[in-house]
Amino acid sequence: MESFLVSEDEISRYPFPVFPYPAVPAPSLLPDTDPLVIPLKRAGRLYLIEAVIDGVSGNLVFDTGARDLLLNRTYFRKHVTSGSVSSKGITGDVGSVELITAGKVEFAGMVFDKLTAEVTDLAHIENRRGVKILGLVGFSLLKKFEILFDPVNGQLTLFRTDAVGRRNNGVLPPFKADHLQKLTGNGHVVFLKGSIAGRSLNFCFDTAAETNVISSASHKTVLATIAVTRRASLKGAGTGASEVLFGKMNDFSLGTRKIENMETVVTSLFALEEVYNTSLDGVLGFSFFRNGEICVNFVTKEAGFRFVKGGEE
Amino acid sequence: MRRVGMILLVITVMLGSRGMARAQIDPGKVCRMDDGRLVFTLHLKWSEKEKQQLRELFDLDSTLVAAVYSGKTRIEAAGEIWTVAPAGPGIVELSKPLAAGVVTEPLPSDLFLLIDDWMDFEGSDQVSETVWGFNNLELRNAFVYTGSRAQFYLPGYEKAQSVFISGSFNGWSTSGTPMRRAGKGWIIDLELTPGKYAYKYIIDGRWTTDPVNRLRERGSAGAWNSVVYCTNHTFRLKGYEKARTVVVTGNFSGWNPRGVALEKGSGEWTLPVYLREGTYAYKFLVDGQWMTDPANPLERKDAQGYSNSFLEIGEPFLFTLHGFTDAQKVVLTGSFNHWDRNELVMEKTASGWRLPYVTAAGNYEYKFIVDGRWMTDPTNPFSTGHGDYENSFIALKANHIFELKGSAGAKSVILAGSFNGWNTDGYRMVRKGNSWKFPVRLQPGKYTYKFIVDGQWILDPANPLFEENEHGTGNSVLWIPAGK
Repeated sequence: MESFLVSEDEISRYPFPVFPYPAVPAPSLLPDTDPLVIPLKRAGRLYLIEAVIDGVSGNLVFDTGARDLLLNRTYFRKHVTSGSVSSKGITGDVGSVELITAGKVEFAGMVFDKLTAEVTDLAHIENRRGVKILGLVGFSLLKKFEILFDPVNGQLTLFRTDAVGRRNNGVLPPFKADHLQKLTGNGHVVFLKGSIAGRSLNFCFDTAAETNVISSASHKTVLATIAVTRRASLKGAGTGASEVLFGKMNDFSLGTRKIENMETVVTSLFALEEVYNTSLDGVLGFSFFRNGEICVNFVTKEAGFRFVKGGEE
Repeated sequence: MRRVGMILLVITVMLGSRGMARAQIDPGKVCRMDDGRLVFTLHLKWSEKEKQQLRELFDLDSTLVAAVYSGKTRIEAAGEIWTVAPAGPGIVELSKPLAAGVVTEPLPSDLFLLIDDWMDFEGSDQVSETVWGFNNLELRNAFVYTGSRAQFYLPGYEKAQSVFISGSFNGWSTSGTPMRRAGKGWIIDLELTPGKYAYKYIIDGRWTTDPVNRLRERGSAGAWNSVVYCTNHTFRLKGYEKARTVVVTGNFSGWNPRGVALEKGSGEWTLPVYLREGTYAYKFLVDGQWMTDPANPLERKDAQGYSNSFLEIGEPFLFTLHGFTDAQKVVLTGSFNHWDRNELVMEKTASGWRLPYVTAAGNYEYKFIVDGRWMTDPTNPFSTGHGDYENSFIALKANHIFELKGSAGAKSVILAGSFNGWNTDGYRMVRKGNSWKFPVRLQPGKYTYKFIVDGQWILDPANPLFEENEHGTGNSVLWIPAGK
């Protein structure tokens, strides 16, 4: 087991306001089955959960990088807004994001009542993937469960747990991890400690990131390990341009496990750092998690990994 | 002679491909990040094609690359200072500080689309328009299609709590189509039209391909899906009980001489197939001997004078042209036959011309050619384009009608959207009653569109769904569900 990478001291060095994570909502209706297995649909490298929100049926992108429930403005623009916040993310948008209350959110047999949700424009994802995207959902609605994400078999398994985080269903053996890390903080986003070029780095685990990301502000020894194959200059939100590089990450390790040949984007992660209120060296997305299963338990504050041979493309 | 020609062709192709390989740069060996700098290793002997590839892969300005090859050692481009230094015989290194380019945040939506382009994603699983196919089941009753009813049967899994079927017929819904218990398995009856369908079972939340269906294909997400065909025709050859093999081949399979085997039954050979709506030529091969279908009177000779059996799948649409009874020849031509100006000669009647024609459901443009003169269909109010480029338009088996109520005083209302490349001269709506209408046939999926009323773009006032566009004016959103 390893200690977590970001200490409270490190967090306090960053002058961003602490984002107020709302309390974890409990479903008003929950199926009897334990574990509850949610089949995930694939659209490109996105994983989707079928859902109905206030009578609108479609899909939620399973996005563990999302702080909370984020809905697509196309389908929820008539809801009364209760305020606005700023939101930035790899798959999200930049700028003003309205807050609404979704009366009824249903998926996998669970029903959540009166959920506060952010609303933004997600048309770019919908148009490129050709599927109806109602929004993004991460761990925020699932924190009361032990959550097993199995990307190879396209399923999310939710285990009910007791007060100390042990599985209620005693018939089921506990997750046997090849590598285990402790989680810190009380947020809904999982940060992982990995290493490149012998340096310990802080990564966000993001199931909606279709490739890994490395911060362009990383140490030069870290960046030197990336084999660059593409480059683009993107116009940014303000004036000027932002340089984006694409290549292969060949020197990444999680614990003692070295994972090579992962597709990686190199770009600025300042906005994400601001959102997550922590220093961030990268994002671990599809290129990473296709290598196995991840089991997250927010009660025991542990994230475990089980690696599979070959992974999935 | 033919063999020599073939060898020469192979050598030419090999040389050509070697030449092409030489013209490709290896992106992994060109660019690196080194000691805080972005460094490009460039060969001075690179061809213009290789330089172009370099510019495209790494978004390098053409003036910057030209300056490197003109021998400059310090270049200012787009506000950045680049330096060029020798790095060996015929090799230079072009570099700049890494941080210099990062002066602002990329928009996440731009970043998403950029990565999408780089990684060449295909999008969601959609079964493409398949011309034909047939089933290959391990268990015969695993899938039965009669009339319009498709019955799927999954044997076993008696202890499962729930089984759903998810496929291209229900938009890959994971919760919309539960199966019911039936004996020692699970069963579902669905109303499906003839066609090809990909599917999987979801057994207690877990995706599973059909264990008794041999036909599988990879979806765009890379995972295997089971495939069935709802068949709409059976190739049948009576007799020939002593034949060892009977196969069928035709233009639907590119006249592959290996064909597809018919199965021997009592007194006949059969093969149920799905064929997309259209007209097909075919023949049987009985123990390698070609023959037309003796039970099918419709035969036509091909260009070499050989007879083929012909088969029409689907209801024919009757194209008619009233009048022009003095004309010698009238030809129907359109997007359904790649605007062939000779193929579809119309039949003369007492009052004009007619041609029943079978083609797949879809949107088509067409014209008549009356004694060499091209003309639109005078009785069809729907058209696209204008002037010489105006064509009549027809949506065969239309599944959606765009409608704009009001705007009675408008002179012109155009329908433009993602389905027609946002063509501003495309679908001309027709005034019917108190609204403007345009019927279309659309594949399941998402479409964005707008109306252009006398030159002014407007959202569909009757559609509450719209999304932002780059002009800040929005586009209306339409979803065509699977199976519509």
